[in-house]
Parts: sequence; C-alpha cells; structure tokens
Amino acid sequence: MAKEMIAMLLAGGQGSRLYALTEKLAKPAVPFGGKYRIIDFPLSNCVNSGIDTVGILTQYQPLVLNEYIGNGQPWDLDRLYGGVHVLPPYQKASGSDWYKGTANAIYQNLSFIERYDPEYVIILSGDQICKQDYSDFLRFHKEKNAEFSVAVMEVPWEEAPRFGLMVADEDDRITEFQEKPKNPKSNLASMGIYIFNWDILKKYLEEDEADPNSENDFGNNIIPNLLKDNRRMYAYHFSGYWKDVGTISSLWEANMEVLDPDNSGIDLFDDDWKIYSRKRTMTGHKVSAGAVIENSMITDGCNIKGEVRHSILFEGVKVEKGAIIEDAVIMGCSVIKAGAVVKHCIIAENVTIGKNAVVGEMPSDGENNVATIGAGITIGDNAKIGPKAMINKNVEEGGEQW
Amino acid sequence: MVVSNTSALGIIFPNSYDLLIPELVNVRLMASIPFASRYRLIDFILSSMTHSDIGNVSIMVNNNYHSLMDHLGSGREWDLVRKNGGLHIFPPFAEKASKPYTGRVDALYGILDFIRDQKEKYVVLTDTNIAVNFDFKAMIQAHVDSGADVTIAYNEQEIPKGFLKSGPKDKSFYYTFDVEDGKISKIYVNSKESGVQNLSMNIYVIDKELLIDLIDTASIHGHQYFERDVLLSNINRLNIQGYKYDGYIARITDMKSYFDENMKLLDDYNLDALFSGFPIYTKLHGGDPTRYLEGAKVQDIMAADGCVIEGNVENSILFRGVKIAKGATVKNCILMQGTVVESGASIEYLVTDKNVTISAGKEMKGTDSFPVYIGKFQTV
Repeated sequence: MAKEMIAMLLAGGQGSRLYALTEKLAKPAVPFGGKYRIIDFPLSNCVNSGIDTVGILTQYQPLVLNEYIGNGQPWDLDRLYGGVHVLPPYQKASGSDWYKGTANAIYQNLSFIERYDPEYVIILSGDQICKQDYSDFLRFHKEKNAEFSVAVMEVPWEEAPRFGLMVADEDDRITEFQEKPKNPKSNLASMGIYIFNWDILKKYLEEDEADPNSENDFGNNIIPNLLKDNRRMYAYHFSGYWKDVGTISSLWEANMEVLDPDNSGIDLFDDDWKIYSRKRTMTGHKVSAGAVIENSMITDGCNIKGEVRHSILFEGVKVEKGAIIEDAVIMGCSVIKAGAVVKHCIIAENVTIGKNAVVGEMPSDGENNVATIGAGITIGDNAKIGPKAMINKNVEEGGEQW
Repeated sequence: MVVSNTSALGIIFPNSYDLLIPELVNVRLMASIPFASRYRLIDFILSSMTHSDIGNVSIMVNNNYHSLMDHLGSGREWDLVRKNGGLHIFPPFAEKASKPYTGRVDALYGILDFIRDQKEKYVVLTDTNIAVNFDFKAMIQAHVDSGADVTIAYNEQEIPKGFLKSGPKDKSFYYTFDVEDGKISKIYVNSKESGVQNLSMNIYVIDKELLIDLIDTASIHGHQYFERDVLLSNINRLNIQGYKYDGYIARITDMKSYFDENMKLLDDYNLDALFSGFPIYTKLHGGDPTRYLEGAKVQDIMAADGCVIEGNVENSILFRGVKIAKGATVKNCILMQGTVVESGASIEYLVTDKNVTISAGKEMKGTDSFPVYIGKFQTV
C-alpha cells in the first residue's frame, strides 16, 4: 500500500546560537509558547494536513527529543502503518557515518522512504514556528506538474541578502537560486521546506552521494543540481506567520508574539489548526491573594504569589511573594523566589532564582538583550545577572554575571 | 504472567451515592463528576490503583455512564492499556431477565465467572465519591499481615450532613464501625450518632475465593447489599479488620460538600495534601495555557488551562476553557468546562455545569450554605 506523501523532518541541528538552551537538547526540543516544543509545529502541521507518516532525523543530543516523541500518540501519529519514526544515524555492513549534511541524512534513510513507496516526499525543518497547510503546498506542486517545489516567503529587499533566494518567472517557475547574495535578484526567501517527486529525490540524492566534492546539502548541492538539469522547479508562496527561532532574541520575540495574536499573526488559540503537544498531568494553576497577572499566559501547575506582567510561564512554575516578572519566558518547573526581579529574559526548565536576585533588565534605547539561564541552574540569593548574560553554571549567593 | 502474592484485582462502583447529588448526576454519574479544576472523581481512585500495581481494573457501570466511557477511553492515561488485565468496563448485561443492578451482590454475581478466571489473589472493591491519594499496596499488605478475611478502610470524622439527611428512598447506605484492636466488632448502618465516628470509606480488600463464595451464597438467598446482607450478618464468623486512613480525604455527599471540598483546595496546604503523593492522572486534552488579558484581576483562584480571563475573579475554581469577559465579576464560584461569563455580569456562590453562559450584565447570587447550581448548556 503506497502513501501519497510522507514527511522527512530534519531535527538533527544543534542550534548552537541558542547556547545555554541547547546544551542538553536538540533545537527542535526547545520548549515554546507555554506548553509546546518547537517540533510540535511541523508535527501538528503534518497531521492537520493529512500526512500520517513522518521520519524524524536526529543526531545532536537526541534523548529529550526521543522521549518527547515517544510513540507519537499526542499527535495522532501512533499508526499501524506509518506513524512517526525517529531515525538516528546507524551502523551498516559497510561502516557507519554521522549525517554529513541535510541531503546525506535523507540519503542514509532512503530505505525508510522506500517502504512506503510514496509519490511525493516533503522535507521539513524542525526549527521553525509556523502554521502551514502542507496539503495546499502539495496541491500547488501537482497543479504545476512540478518535480520539485520550495515554499518561499517574501522578505523585505534590504533583508534579502541574509537568505537563500529563489528567482522565479511569472508562472512561479524557478530560474535561478542565490545563496545569501550581495546583490539579490529576488526577495523570495526559501523556507527550507521542499516537496520532491520521490523518483527525482532518490535520483539526485544518489548522484549527490557519488560526488566526493559535495557537501551533501539541499541548498548548496541538490537545488543547484536540479537547476543545472533544467528540472521543473516551482516556488510556492507562503504568507502566514513564519519564524526561524535560531537565536535567543528571535526565540524570545516569538514567545512574546504568542501573547499578542491579534497583531503578531501567530494564533495558537485557533481551533481550526491546533498545535498538539505531549502534556504532563498537573493540577490547575493557582493564583493567591496579592498576586498580579497582566497580559500573560499561565500553564497548569503554576503557583503565583508575586507579580507577572507580559510573560509566558510554562508548567509548574512557582513565583513567590514579592517576586516581579516582566517580559520573561520561564520554562517548566522553575522557581522564582521571594523578592527576585526577573525581566526581559529566557529562563529554562528547573531553574531556581534565589531571593532578591536580579535577572536581566528592560532594554534601553536601541538595545534588545535577552538574559538567558540554562536548564537546572541555581542563581543564589541576591545575585545579579546582567542583561547580556548567558548562564550555564550555578551562580552563588551575591554573585554577579554580566 | 507473574502474579505476586499481594496482587489484587480492582473493582470500582462508579454509581454509588449518585442519588445524594441529583443535580450533578443528571447528565453523568458520581465517578465522572468534575473536581479540582481538571479532574473527574474517578481519577483519584484509578490513579491510586495504578500506582499500587493494580493493573486489572473493572468498572461496574450501572446507568448514565456515557460521560465516564468518554473520559476513560481505553484507559491509556492511567496506564491501563495492558495485555494482561487493563481496564474493563462492565455495563448491565442486556438479557431478558436482567436489569441495572441494585446492590454490589447483584453486580458482582453478574461477573462472577470473570472474577473466577482472573489470576489475582485478592480483590479490592471501592466507590468513587471520595478523592484520595490512596496507597492500596499498604492496605493489601496490612490485610495479608493481619490474616483478615476482609479489610475495610475507614477514617475518623463526623458523619457528613449529606449522609444524615439522606432518606431510605436514596438507598444510600453508609457504615460506621466499632473497632477493637484493629478488628471491626460492630457495623452500624446509617447511624445518626453525633461526634467523630469510624466512618467507612467503602474500600474493601478481600480474598478472591472468599468473595466468590460469599457472593454465590448471598445471591442464592436473594440478598443485594454486600455490607448489610453479607458482612453484617457474618460479622461473628468472618475476621473483619479495620484499616485506618489518616491522610487527606475529600468526600462528596451532597452539593454543599461538593462546593466545600473544591474550595478547600484553594488552600495550598490542602492541595499539597491531596496531590503530593502519587501523581493523579486524568484524560489529557489539547489546549493552550490560560491567558490573562488587559483588565484581569484575580486572587485566590485555581484555574485549568485554556481559560481566557479579562474580568475579576476571586476565590473560585475554573475548569478548562472558561471565559471571563471584561468587567465581569466572579466570586466564590465553581465554573465547569466552557462556562462563559459575559461582560458586566456578576456572580457569587454559583456552581455552573459544562458550557453554561451567564449573559452580559446579569447578576446572580447564591449563598455559602446554598450555592446555586446551573445545569449543563443553560444560558442565564
């Protein structure tokens, strides 16, 4: 029984620019928006688009991600035929290799795709916050009778040189590809989401593997090769919310945008396109007398006795009396002790911020620094953590870090 | 299959005491009454069983059980999807001569062949009108150590008002004990005694073979009630031990106790007492964190995920997806899933069932002693 389209989700990236947040887990497993992880977005998009077979390619620090995905049940991906499969690099009779590049990761799992004998394969990226209907993308791909399509976003011209750009004719057929060019001929940025006809994908991956000079990368090798052979390549325009949360400031910003769905364009509360996640069981959250909560999101298991403004609190966060929180992202089960002041920062899971400690500050003009505290860290009482700090070691009582 | 010498089969009676709280069981049964912002009453007993290695659980549903079936599904959330054992739901058997059961004897007689076939050595029988974080393992061990025929859990408290005012029509029997040296020497049915009593929690541990024997005999004699007709009449022949429980217990015996037991959880001390033991599992729903928008003012509340709060809320319990609009005021209320309080409305001492709407500008007040109940899907 063949599948029409299956998804291959690239989730091996370290996300090195997230520093302290990705020391122990892969970027797609980074918590987001109160009760999600980044990978919930592509996975939920798949299910909502009718894709029931997903291979997740992992490499860097996969433990948290593997446990989180489990049997795929929260996303309805525990299926008899298909479902979700985590695909780490493995040893073969001929030897073993880490995934050398995005294309090589898929190449090493060609036999996985072969089992489902699909007509199309969609390649997804596990580090973007985006609600997208892949079935509409496939409709476009079929309408154009394309062999390869890529989802593109229009970006402002002045930002175009930061992206891989697709130059397309009026029929959306791609004529040229520019990787981070000085003089862009187009402002259509690739989102790193591709649909291939399966036979084309297979052919080009095999040829790419045979080329010893290749970096085995979709952007640098596969797409230029397709262009060279004059394949039918099309650009699919996407205009919804899309954010690559590859940096601390973009991750912080995307979280803050969740608080303002009317203006930001990212609406997690839309019943027509739900984002699913694996939940823990905790009691409802509690708010005590004297607490203040404004413009914030609070999740199950939280206990709020202090002041919380314009912030996102994940499951089980405790905010003691007199603590002040503003513009902050505070991940699961962290504790903010009495009198602590926590502003404009990201605090990872299971962190303790000591009494009267200060973390981050509201930015002054032109600056946008986000203080960051890694998972499991303890910040001692009365310690001071500056707005540019990136903390991955405990800070003792009264200590200062800038 | 490895059967340890303390392995037990769980049998739950989800309809017990339904008649004491007619408002809430109009569309459900005792076991599926929403409690503590995101749970159903059965979650406490079921999770406790899972944590006590009771992985073979039968639920003797009698009537109004659709909500419970929906809640339990395959039992996955309680880790009760098992090759051996797992979750069994026994609805009344559709047979010419059969009807919904009247007492435990009836119910158990109907599944006697099933019980006979199970490998477990002991049987645990319970109701669901109590929320406890209960260690069945310890109780079974006490049962084994004492060499009892039957062990019954009890706690020391006054007889709840809901019990005292129940009439014979309610068929809601409750039991108090005289306990001497751990042995139950006397069982009282529907005692009106004042002061602290040894009040049965209706949790029983009994040897499986003995249970089969007792039920077989009782059924032949046309007896219906396990406690009154089987235990009480055999009290001199059987070694019945009491198992005193002194942990936290929320016992639902009427609307007032339902209201009070929810409200008590606003005190962190009580919340910790009920939830700090084993985690309590419940059906998991998708849904976002709760949003507090401009204008929200809250104090002393417990709220589940998915709520949107723009108004004033004080001293209340909010279940999933409750919406409190701008300028609305909510005080001392229990608002179940999907309740909407529109702008400018003001409510106090209300218990709203699922998907109730309080229209804009409406004012409604109950009192501490008589909280007003609004039925499912009503618009006020």
